[in-house]
Amino acid sequence: MRRSHRAIHRALWPALALLVGLGFALALALRPPPEEPPAAQVQQP
Amino acid sequence: MSVGFRAVQWNRDKLIYDGVLLAGVALYIGIFLIVGAQLDPPQDVPGEVDLRIRAFGSAAFLMLTVILSIGPLARLDRRFLPLLYNRRHFGVLTFGVALMHFGFMIDWYLVQDSLPNLGTELTTWPDYGKFIGFPFKVLGITALLVLFLMAATSHDFWLSFLTPPVWKALHMAVYVAYGLVVMHVSLGAMQFNYSWFLPLMLAGGFGTVSVLHVLAARRERAVDQGSAAGSDGWLAVGAPQSIPDQGARIVVAPGGERIAVFRDGARIGALSNLCAHQNGPIGEGRIIDGCITCPWHGFQYRLEDGCAPPPFSEKLATYRVRLRAGAVEVDPRPLPPGTPAAIDCPIAGD
Repeated sequence: MRRSHRAIHRALWPALALLVGLGFALALALRPPPEEPPAAQVQQP
Repeated sequence: MSVGFRAVQWNRDKLIYDGVLLAGVALYIGIFLIVGAQLDPPQDVPGEVDLRIRAFGSAAFLMLTVILSIGPLARLDRRFLPLLYNRRHFGVLTFGVALMHFGFMIDWYLVQDSLPNLGTELTTWPDYGKFIGFPFKVLGITALLVLFLMAATSHDFWLSFLTPPVWKALHMAVYVAYGLVVMHVSLGAMQFNYSWFLPLMLAGGFGTVSVLHVLAARRERAVDQGSAAGSDGWLAVGAPQSIPDQGARIVVAPGGERIAVFRDGARIGALSNLCAHQNGPIGEGRIIDGCITCPWHGFQYRLEDGCAPPPFSEKLATYRVRLRAGAVEVDPRPLPPGTPAAIDCPIAGD
């Protein structure tokens, strides 16, 4: 790779990695909880 | 056609590479379909199609992860260089697997006679303002278009037509495609699939690629800091013996391109570190059969003048070399490609 390519690579990669890492973490943290099973299917003691 | 290019021929190594690649992908998808059907048997036709969507989608993600890991792995350890050799076929196959994933997604709507719903999903404009609820399929489709662009321009014709610097810059879009794929899964399948498989796959793949790039970048940065030039601008390389026989040392002028200083016995010559084919790091190659050989795809050049041996016509810029006070020095001002510039140096012990 040319010097300019390496410079672009070094600038682009961390920014993209940070953005995607943050997006992934937020998507994991904000995902809605699983739906409760319908009451009729809940086993009674 | 006005653009001259020479197609790289098929050979045994490429056939083995492609064979292993195809077998590996088929094995992964086969195991995924069998194990997935046993763990959670599909209840209907859309369920069966959904299993195929997941099999091909996860295969494409893992393939993209491996492709992005090959570059830094090859820089960190030469034993990974053979993986680089035919990486373009890997990329084209990844596009094919991703296209199958897309095709099964369309099929999922078709088997339910609900294809218009896809159009509604993609054109519900208020959803584009949400984070959770964002039309994640748009991210996947955009990534697929980027992969298509790269697969369509992967042939050597386009490499020659666009020139290696432009082609290389264009193919850096693979990082954008990878980011889009991670977010496509994060905002899509991961939102309604509560198994730990998806978060682990995403974090593991993305984390591996990131760590490898950071490690490789640290090593590259040290090389790029450049050597101090003497008063007349020449760069010190070191004693002739410090250059490995049939190998090279790489020097860099401050702010300049890398220069590969090769030694073949007592003969020393300096060339641009950029292979004419794909701008591969020629200085990390070796002298094989009397020719400097690029470690990426085996393009060869003469030490004497940087010219490829006949019938090939590629030429690299050369640099003047001299021996001063027992040390090799190189002038960082490039000579026109193909200019003879190698010298003979007395080597202690030879």
